[in-house]
Amino acid sequence: MKILNKILFLFVLSMLVMSAAWSASEHAYEKNQFGKVNIELNNKASLQRGAKYFVNYCLSCHPAKHSRYKRVADDLGIREDLMIDNMIFTGQKFGELMTVAMKREDAQKWFLGVDPPDLSTHVRAIGPQAVYEFLKTFYVDDHRPFGVNNLYLPNTAMPHVLADLQGLQRADFHVEPSTDGVEHKAFDKFETVKPGALSDKEYEQVVTDIVNFLAYLSEPAQLIRKKVGVGVLFFLGILGILAYFLKRNYWQDVH
Amino acid sequence: MSEQSTGLLGWIDARFPLSKMMREHLSEYYAPKNFNFWYFFGSLALLVLVIQILSGIFLTMHYKPDAELAFASVEHIMRDVNWGWLIRYMHSTGASFFFIVVYLHMFRGLMYGSFKHPRELIWLFGMLIYVALMAEAFMGYLLPWGNMSYWGAQVIINLFNTIPFVGEAISEWIRGDFVISDATLNRFFSLHVIAVPLALLGLIVGHILALHEVGSNNPDGVEIKKTKGADGIPLDGIPFHPYYTVKDILGSVVFLAIFAFVIFFMPEMNGYFLEHANFDPANALNTPDHIAPIWYFTPFYTVLRAIPDPFLGFMMMAMAIVVLFLLPWIDRNPIKSIRYRSTLFKVNLIIFVITFIILGYLGLKPVTDLYSQLALRFTELYFLFFFVLWAYSKPRSGGFWIGSFIVLLVGITAYDFLVNSSEQPDLIWKTWVIPAAYLFITLLLPQFTNWDAEKQVPERVTS
Repeated sequence: MKILNKILFLFVLSMLVMSAAWSASEHAYEKNQFGKVNIELNNKASLQRGAKYFVNYCLSCHPAKHSRYKRVADDLGIREDLMIDNMIFTGQKFGELMTVAMKREDAQKWFLGVDPPDLSTHVRAIGPQAVYEFLKTFYVDDHRPFGVNNLYLPNTAMPHVLADLQGLQRADFHVEPSTDGVEHKAFDKFETVKPGALSDKEYEQVVTDIVNFLAYLSEPAQLIRKKVGVGVLFFLGILGILAYFLKRNYWQDVH
Repeated sequence: MSEQSTGLLGWIDARFPLSKMMREHLSEYYAPKNFNFWYFFGSLALLVLVIQILSGIFLTMHYKPDAELAFASVEHIMRDVNWGWLIRYMHSTGASFFFIVVYLHMFRGLMYGSFKHPRELIWLFGMLIYVALMAEAFMGYLLPWGNMSYWGAQVIINLFNTIPFVGEAISEWIRGDFVISDATLNRFFSLHVIAVPLALLGLIVGHILALHEVGSNNPDGVEIKKTKGADGIPLDGIPFHPYYTVKDILGSVVFLAIFAFVIFFMPEMNGYFLEHANFDPANALNTPDHIAPIWYFTPFYTVLRAIPDPFLGFMMMAMAIVVLFLLPWIDRNPIKSIRYRSTLFKVNLIIFVITFIILGYLGLKPVTDLYSQLALRFTELYFLFFFVLWAYSKPRSGGFWIGSFIVLLVGITAYDFLVNSSEQPDLIWKTWVIPAAYLFITLLLPQFTNWDAEKQVPERVTS
């Protein structure tokens, strides 16, 4: 019995190891090579900056159609008049959903038949780390319609909208010895070809702010969820103690 | 209690058996005094049912069963409805916890032989509840109209296509369309909020009435009604109320703490309770990278995938559930509780639990050579468990053990030669060891060891 259990345990273990190896080989670069994004939902300043970048750089094409301006303003502590004057470019009202003015047909035409995904939910599907890597790994590629390609999402239809800030970078690849006859290109490093308005560190902060904001936007309840949870668990803890003594008292005469 | 109640209660009792029912099902329902940890899960299942119904009522107030609006209405609940996120997480987490609780409840039945005479009908009601619950969960999973909802439902409904001649007509009838569409969403909504919950409630009433008719089993598998005191009350029985009501309150609070922890701190459960791809809206043109059913279906999904022929696979999956219905007539050993059954029975049950978990794990993963071989092997183990359970029903001759060992091993090996194929043929023989070792342990050891020795069942419960 013990031997059999050991065999089964080894099987489970080897399956886990294999699944980890399988998921690691998906990208041409190493996992977390570009750092891991640090989501700080308590950092109101970062969220506010992220919101500003978001409405300026993203919202012209990407809708956030399940989110309302007012909710964002309330959650992030942005004053109503400031929000209306500086962050609503579509002439919409304060309480309206964050949709885009761009027509769907235009989007399809401009972006090779791809709809820019809705950023109020899509980030929850792919995770903030994916957006973080996506925004950091644009590189010059003359074969693409907008002149840039992306390491995280090869052949993306999106232009590098933050190029003014980051500048442009070139990607160096080397061809890996192939085992299956198909040529694999592995990423080596980026080299700046045109500096942007920001230093690397400043750009890193911009990307982090955007991703931080998107992480919030994908589930606004996160801001209070854990706080409520602590209260609920505290209540259940007290109730549990009372329930324990109640049970013990009643069961005294059961032998 | 012969004295008549007075006042309001007396007025009601003269017209409705309120006090009578309270006595029969609570204060004078005598339950064995030795219930252990495993006996919490019945009342917890009832608690989760109440949570699901209450949270479901409030979700229904804001949800829109329309292919154009459904996804947005769920996000509306998550963002704009006061405490909507909490209600939604209660419902989505509740679905997974329902299955956790029900699986543990069923395992309790397996351990202590709670399905055996005279409780066969309780078990059958329970199995019907389980099947209704699967239907309920499956249809509920389509409602958020996320991309995994859509493609998961696509895969499951297409299973009916494999039925010869009438398959396509059946799946069209289920969908109400040629593809999953608004019509499918609408009817699934109707079935999810009305039809199946009604059936579930009826079945649960049947389950509990049948239980209270014969009385509860217990961890010793001793019938407490056999030893009654002079007053006609079982000596080892205690009134359900107040003893088990206060105990279940404690169990419920502990359960709710775990439940709340998931709701508030990890509502997605790393994509097992809420799958990541479901945060993108349903898209008929964009298949998720990897379609996996939600975790509580994956053991059966693996059985389906383990058989290359689609219809045969479908039948085996159905058999994997049907065989559970037959349990009272498979395990005919008069000893109910695992405490007094043989070491090999315990080994067999442990292997079954491991098998079920591995089948569930494999169902979450994409198919590879190794995984599909393992899926086949653990599917074999799943069904062999029931044969062994039947074999352990009574003492058998050496010829029976050796004969069935040979027949089953030859059968499995023949399947490998005739049907089983793999890109890496050596995997077939490496994994062949799994059913071979299983058969060796369960069918040959009774012959050569005393691990099949059973213990004397006491007259009264032990603790």
